[in-house]
Amino acid sequence: MKTNIKQTITKFLGSEKGQDKVVPIFSVIISLVVGAIVIGIIGKNPIGPYHNLLQGSGILPKASYAGGKGMLTDFMSFLNALTPLIFAALAVGVAFKAGLFNIGVSSQMLFAGFIATIVVGYSDMSGFMAKPLVILIGIVCGAVIGGLIGYLKYRFNINEVVSCIMVNYIFQYVISFFINMFYVDPVSRQSKAIGQAASLTLKNVEFLGMKMEVPLGIILAVLATFGLKFILDKTKLGYEMKTVGASQKAAKYAGIKVGRTMVVAMLISGALAGLAGVTFYLGYNTSIQPRVLSSVGYDAIAVSLLGNANPIGSMISAFLIMIISKGSTYMSSTAGVPQEIASVITALILLFSACSAYIKYRLKRTKNEAEEKNGQVSKIQEQMKEEA
Amino acid sequence: METVIIDGLAFALPLFIVAIGGIFSERSGITNLALEGFMGMGAFIGALAVILTKEFFPALGSVSFYIAIVLAILGGMIYAMLHALVCIKFKANQVISGVVMNILAIALTGFLTSQFNSVIFGKPSSKFVLDVLGRFSVPLLSEIPVIGGFFKDIYPFQVIIIIVAIIAWYVLYQTRYGMRLRACGDNPHAVDAGGADVAKIRFSAVMISGALAGLGGICFAYSISANFSSSFYVGYGYLAIAALIFGNWKVIPTLVACILFGFARSGGYMISGMLELPSTFSDLIMTLPYILTMILLIFFSKNNHPPRALGEVYDKGKR
Amino acid sequence: MSDYIVEMRHITKRFPGIVANDDVTLNIKKGEILAILGENGAGKSTLMSMLFGMYEPDEGEIFVRGEKVKITSPNEATRLNIGMVHQHFKLVQDYTITQNIVLGIEPMKKRWGFLPYVDLKEANEKVAALSKKYGLEVDPTSKIKDITVSVQQRVEILKMLYRDAEILIFDEPTAVLTPQEIEFLLKVIESLRESGKTIILITHKLEEIKKVADRCAVLCRGKLVDMCDVETTSTKEMARMMVGRDVTFELNKKEANFGKEVLKVENLTVKDKNQFEVVKNVSFSIRSGEVFAIAGVSGNGQVEIADAIAGLMPVANGKITLNDKEITHMDIRERTETGVAYIPEDRQAYGLVLDFSVAENAVLKDYFKPDFCEKGILKREKFDAYGNEMIEKYDIRSGQGVKTQVRSMSGGNQQKVIIAREIELDTPLIIFVQPTRGLDIGAIERIHEQIIEERNKGKAILLISLELEEVMNCADTIGVIYNGEIKTIKDAKSLSTKEVGEYMMGVHS
Repeated sequence: MKTNIKQTITKFLGSEKGQDKVVPIFSVIISLVVGAIVIGIIGKNPIGPYHNLLQGSGILPKASYAGGKGMLTDFMSFLNALTPLIFAALAVGVAFKAGLFNIGVSSQMLFAGFIATIVVGYSDMSGFMAKPLVILIGIVCGAVIGGLIGYLKYRFNINEVVSCIMVNYIFQYVISFFINMFYVDPVSRQSKAIGQAASLTLKNVEFLGMKMEVPLGIILAVLATFGLKFILDKTKLGYEMKTVGASQKAAKYAGIKVGRTMVVAMLISGALAGLAGVTFYLGYNTSIQPRVLSSVGYDAIAVSLLGNANPIGSMISAFLIMIISKGSTYMSSTAGVPQEIASVITALILLFSACSAYIKYRLKRTKNEAEEKNGQVSKIQEQMKEEA
Repeated sequence: METVIIDGLAFALPLFIVAIGGIFSERSGITNLALEGFMGMGAFIGALAVILTKEFFPALGSVSFYIAIVLAILGGMIYAMLHALVCIKFKANQVISGVVMNILAIALTGFLTSQFNSVIFGKPSSKFVLDVLGRFSVPLLSEIPVIGGFFKDIYPFQVIIIIVAIIAWYVLYQTRYGMRLRACGDNPHAVDAGGADVAKIRFSAVMISGALAGLGGICFAYSISANFSSSFYVGYGYLAIAALIFGNWKVIPTLVACILFGFARSGGYMISGMLELPSTFSDLIMTLPYILTMILLIFFSKNNHPPRALGEVYDKGKR
Repeated sequence: MSDYIVEMRHITKRFPGIVANDDVTLNIKKGEILAILGENGAGKSTLMSMLFGMYEPDEGEIFVRGEKVKITSPNEATRLNIGMVHQHFKLVQDYTITQNIVLGIEPMKKRWGFLPYVDLKEANEKVAALSKKYGLEVDPTSKIKDITVSVQQRVEILKMLYRDAEILIFDEPTAVLTPQEIEFLLKVIESLRESGKTIILITHKLEEIKKVADRCAVLCRGKLVDMCDVETTSTKEMARMMVGRDVTFELNKKEANFGKEVLKVENLTVKDKNQFEVVKNVSFSIRSGEVFAIAGVSGNGQVEIADAIAGLMPVANGKITLNDKEITHMDIRERTETGVAYIPEDRQAYGLVLDFSVAENAVLKDYFKPDFCEKGILKREKFDAYGNEMIEKYDIRSGQGVKTQVRSMSGGNQQKVIIAREIELDTPLIIFVQPTRGLDIGAIERIHEQIIEERNKGKAILLISLELEEVMNCADTIGVIYNGEIKTIKDAKSLSTKEVGEYMMGVHS
């Protein structure tokens, strides 16, 4: 009986190729079930809150809307929040493909956002000048930090995880120092708000009688997703990065410059993180809160893991995780479920994704065993035939 | 000068015990980036115990501190079992698992802190407030100029840490268990052939790691902020990892690294105090240990000898 | 009461995808040397691992001293006085010899009557006494990382004796030794028998069996095909039983036809990570149409010579010239382009990207060339076409054609992918390092033929091997390396196996 269930699951989870898609879905479902149990424990019916998540993200209609607002308003604001997460997940993913773990996305974002804020955000450039310049600064600043971490790994053999974390703290405090010294808004205790011309999100756009935000960055994010997929699958650089990620020794043996490839991967990763930074601080937000690293850089790890570090997969998982994160505010206010449950669910998804290698391994074994058993059965049948 | 020593030690010793936790795990072959999360979970359980005892058994008074220590150790240990399970049983990538443990700990403790506050105490707060801990000085010794700083204004937990650290050192280098544990990090196949259970040793090593990190965590919670909240996570777990890397995965050199960090931090504060800099500058001083870490890493990373089998999944049936 | 000390009855063991042992029944007499003969993958090691408790049989029973036993762990085996020296030594590099020997059964004492600690002093003395008794000289306090492979093997033997093992299993013990060391080991094994021990010798080397064994069990594809008396069976017969067909020991090799000098190595010195000189002032040259083999005991610097020529290790001193072009300080790719093909020792770590497909691995050194890549954009379809061509030409067996992940393929087929890729580079120099390690006889024969074919086409071949037989069979010229120095370079025909062995030990002057 037990093996029957096993076999059914194995069959359901399909071929090895399909597992790359099915196993993450499994992780999400298990996490949602666990989340539902937690919600149940604190005395609520989980169906309502989960429904609220979708409503809060503008995917399902809410019961009522305030004047000038609608489902599209919510959805555009959802896309606005989604944009930095996609960039950040791509940043984590590209490093991952090259065998590196960039958990410094948050500080790369902060640095890019800070420089863009003080250079462009506080200037009086026109929108046509300011917006491209913000994007450019984002790319360059992020790439510089990413590249630096790659270089430290290549030149001094410093574990990138440790150096990323050190850089995270250093930037967090140093930028907080500068904001507090020079750019602080005495009322909000944050950096002064940027001018509208520099913002990558158009505010209060009227459409079909509804007011909404229009995140310009989302177009860029989709382009970056497909662009990165192209680089990884179809270019020499992508092949080299994946070779380095799969086996540094074999890459060296093949004549690939391992150190240089790692630095390039971190440059790309940093540039994407920088884009996440400018869309976050000069789009989704208009100011920077000192001493706080945004959680986007960490959520991106979950997103990327869930999407197998694959660009398209990351975009889809970003969508999913953002529903949980963005919808949680509405869920909390409507259903009275604490908002923190969202980050717990995200962390659980991450936990199950981390075990995906084991799940795949088990599946493969169960499958092999099943095949062997079938093989034996048919062998015995053959023998019986022969004997008869 | 004395305050540099006093504050430096109060910071260095909790860091040291967390780093020893890291050494146990990594010498057994399991990469441990999860120290931050272990610390947080330990501190959370310990702090929870304190406010619960204060609420329901107010007569216990300062005993609650010792209850907190014990429960923080237990909390860290139990949470560490999750990391052990994921790394050893589920054969996951140990670096990823470590980072996941940290993210999960931050999410869980944040969620549970506000839940407990609202459900049990009926107040919407996201922190557990702890008592301010009394300190003591060793008579006579503390009156020696400069060096007296080592014996002055000591937190009781510093004594506990030193005792635990000595026991940990003894276990690691002198006992049968320690010998097998270190062998697991070098060549687990040898341990297996010798008839000991690699998975069990590693599992328990990670648990010890969690216990020591939990102890360090509650000490930080007491000494630095006298409360537990999400602002607890400032990366001291990672600092402990950096310390054990300089210490080349050995206990005594790691102690030296920790003391260096502690003094860099307290020295920085003293200098900013002497220069009468505005409080904004404390942000810059906060970066000192991290910058020191980066610089030391640049000089030391090349000549490091991590345990040979560190981070490798041990597969007994490998053919 | 039977006179067998160990009886294994109808043992079957399956691993995912294969049956490693299929209904094997094997009886072992007390005090004999029983050889277990079989090709790689025939199931010898698996069978003995079950006796040692590393695996449990799926079917069948084991009796030790007439009693039915279930050996669930090496601990259990030790309790039954069974010991095993594994092919890959299981030693802790950072520990002393004594620490390694006592690992798992550490002698404990109490300090001040209550503090338990591991007492190494007494253990050191016991190890010294044991090593004297059996003529296995070691210094109990030196660390494993500082001693040679053959001493490490002694440690493994002492480990068994320390645990009072009566039944000693040796898994391919001679693979890493020089002829003289083999001689010594076989003597040790014989003297162990004389002191009443029972010995099981897993091997695929027929001469060794002929020399010491009393009986020989032949395994083929997981099945026990024969149990023969060594005295009355010829090596030829044993070989036929092992492979299932007649084996020609001779390689069909026509007279060499040397051309101009292709590779010239002058005063080459290579340092390892710790700045230790692993290759010292080595000079040699290889002509086109010549197989130049470097013989030597593992770890004497031969792999580093290959790595230095291919560019994987930096040259500390000296000069390497390929077809009159100096390549000493070129990067790896420039060397490949100038004309170096390299079949590395560790095919899984270096030679292949295990997670890549056959096609992606086939172009590992070509992917950037115009055939496969234009302006940085890859021509994926050409990858597959080329991969298919290679599969066809080199008879690579893979489950799903060019899309097969290399990780899922057998060792022999993995090696075929590497050899296909490197030979197709069509370079004047091809370096083979341990090309046949871990492969079965059919595959070994094929690779030897390929080496000779390339030589006959006028390539210069550098062959580095630990298998003396392979060196003697394939080489036109032999250089022997000892302790980083080339001790002699001679025409292969003028050297005997014994002489080469002496050079390998550094005793021939």
